[in-house]
Amino acid sequence: MSAPSIRERLYESPGPKTRRRIAAFTGVALILLGLLLFLIVRQFALQGQLQPRYWDFFLKGSTWRYLGAGLLSTLKAALTAAVIAIALGFLMMRGKLRRFRPVRWLCAALVEFTRGVPTLLLIYFFFLVIPRMGITIGAFWRITLPCAISASGIIAEAFRAGVNAVPVGQTEAGLSLGLSNLRVFYQIVFPQAIRFVIPSLISELVIVLKDTTFAYVVSYADLMQNAKVLITSHDSLVSVYLVVAVIYILINYGLNKLSDRMARGTKKPAEAGQAKRRPA
Amino acid sequence: MTQIQTPGDKPVIELKNVNKHYGSLHVLRDISLSVGKGEVVVVIGPSGSGKSTLCRTINRLETIDSGEILIDGVPLPQEGRELAQLRAQIGMVFQSFNLFSHMTVLDNMTLAPTGVLKLPKKQAREEAMQLLERVGVADQAHKLPAQLSGGQQQRAAIARALAMHPKAMLFDEPTSALDPEMIGEVLNVMTGLAQDGMTMVIVTHEMNFARRVSDRVVFMDGGSIVEQDAPEAFFAHPKSQRAADFLQSIRAPEKL
Amino acid sequence: MNLSTLLTQYGDLYLRALLNTWRLTAISFAGAFAIGVIVTVLRVCPVKPLRVFGDFFVQVFRNIPGAAMLIILVYALPRLRVLLSYEMCVIVASVLIPSAFCSEHLMSGMNTIRPGEIEAARALGLTFFQLIVKIIIPQALRSTVLPMTSLAVGTMLTTALGSQAPLRPHQLELTGVVNYINSRAVGGILAFAVSAALYVATALVIGWVGGRIDRKVRILR
Repeated sequence: MSAPSIRERLYESPGPKTRRRIAAFTGVALILLGLLLFLIVRQFALQGQLQPRYWDFFLKGSTWRYLGAGLLSTLKAALTAAVIAIALGFLMMRGKLRRFRPVRWLCAALVEFTRGVPTLLLIYFFFLVIPRMGITIGAFWRITLPCAISASGIIAEAFRAGVNAVPVGQTEAGLSLGLSNLRVFYQIVFPQAIRFVIPSLISELVIVLKDTTFAYVVSYADLMQNAKVLITSHDSLVSVYLVVAVIYILINYGLNKLSDRMARGTKKPAEAGQAKRRPA
Repeated sequence: MTQIQTPGDKPVIELKNVNKHYGSLHVLRDISLSVGKGEVVVVIGPSGSGKSTLCRTINRLETIDSGEILIDGVPLPQEGRELAQLRAQIGMVFQSFNLFSHMTVLDNMTLAPTGVLKLPKKQAREEAMQLLERVGVADQAHKLPAQLSGGQQQRAAIARALAMHPKAMLFDEPTSALDPEMIGEVLNVMTGLAQDGMTMVIVTHEMNFARRVSDRVVFMDGGSIVEQDAPEAFFAHPKSQRAADFLQSIRAPEKL
Repeated sequence: MNLSTLLTQYGDLYLRALLNTWRLTAISFAGAFAIGVIVTVLRVCPVKPLRVFGDFFVQVFRNIPGAAMLIILVYALPRLRVLLSYEMCVIVASVLIPSAFCSEHLMSGMNTIRPGEIEAARALGLTFFQLIVKIIIPQALRSTVLPMTSLAVGTMLTTALGSQAPLRPHQLELTGVVNYINSRAVGGILAFAVSAALYVATALVIGWVGGRIDRKVRILR
């Protein structure tokens, strides 16, 4: 049972005059949008960016194999960073729910820190400072770790929201059965919470994936980095960057869609509780 | 108390052969109904009989597929300012109150009188306070709807509709979302309105109220008006088997 | 290098960088909000092509990585004869990306409005325009204060893109300044800590202000 979205609710079923007006505006809008598209394409053509030499190498398998390899590295870094971020986020969430104050404060501070600092600053930290401290880590970790740290705070908050969405009655019931706090959390509360958290974890993956595009800072050969190589070998900056941007957009779009679909499947108990208040 | 329909008097609300479909579902079948000035018409029937839909077509919250709806003899406008103007003359009370949740009760009351009727703010507030007094929630005027009980919200919602000086009032199951102990306070307000001569169309499940207050009971089933009669006659001797079955089914639990 | 030498040597630069970050954030957030509102109007208007365009806009800028966006603005646009200053490129990226999220927040804010209240407004005789101005916009804005607060912080984080454009020293923002200092001296952890602290402090202030506004205007339901 999904409520109709605001788009449907905002308007009543149109009368004849309204219908005519909408039809007229639709025509005008189509013309204007067509004009916009035309102007963009014309600008590409005028600047010679539509020449075949800028685009025909996309017909070659080798181009896509190369971009695919870059994409694979991007996904490897993003997934690794996401797993680390989830682990860190989980620890921070547990810490924030602790009764022992110093732990709670430390975790709260970590959450604020990771949420308030740009990923780029952390990347520079791993790129510029860590090596000078005598710690040598490879390019892969120089991009994965800062991305993971950057996402961990938001994930901690997502976990916390999920845990809070589980009705208190569940905890009370568990405790009244004589289960320990730890058992109540891991066997009763968390399994329920995780259902609410999964959609936001998937959208976190989008954020991490976007952050990994800074991999060129640490010279990790991700999709962006491979795109650069492609640009130098074909001398075609505009087409390659546009194609790469479209690849990123499509992947992230897919992930967001997945997250939305999973979110629709899980109904929060708060909403379910409201639904039963109204007899039809 | 003017509740006798004098023949020849133009009805306030008139539906002629109204039909409506939801996809393949025929929710209103050839409905004809007229409501005279000062008349109180109660619409009853099993759930899914189309009674709420009927009520909502009268101010075009639901559109119809065919037929005619006349208000004071004038066809219901289909859109735009004319439709808004007409709606302003017909009060509506909903099952779920629908007070504007971001405004105080008083602001709820004055929004349409100042915005639609263009009353001066001061006058609108004074009238609003009088109406709130009348329905017994004047002390809640400066609270937000969520801070009121269901019964108080519904009474405020009735007052909000009255603030537009409507020529008729539509009630779409006004007590169905209320806890039992609050139903009485809302029905009392409605009874008072009926006694003051307000033209009312009321969709409800409250049979005692229907018997006491209405001038006419309209029984609907399966999207059609099955029968209509004066309340005493209807409740004592329903003419149709379906109405008899319906009355039987709602009386049964009360015997427990 | 200790804190006092760092600050005596680069204090001015940090101050200017902080002000630049604030300025970029304020400009970008205002721009993102304005465009977010316009795009949202397109997305809910009854004209189908405009809805589709609005949705397309949001999906593109919601999903494009900041780095890709900036690179296109800085390197690809000039080849199409669209020349923007480097700082303008940073601002455009920090406007367009958050504007998509702004529109998403506004859409979900509007979706929290109960359908019954819209019907009640109609039943009272409010015109469509009055419905929008008196009911839809106030309710949508009130229920989006916290998401908009996060968006303001997110916009601030996006302005770190400034470190990726060849800006001049007086245009550096808080991330770029760290890179700048580290390429000249061994700023070490401290150089980062100063910038990080300024970022976090700004985020906390934004969050605090947003929380206060939210408590004041939140709609009880």
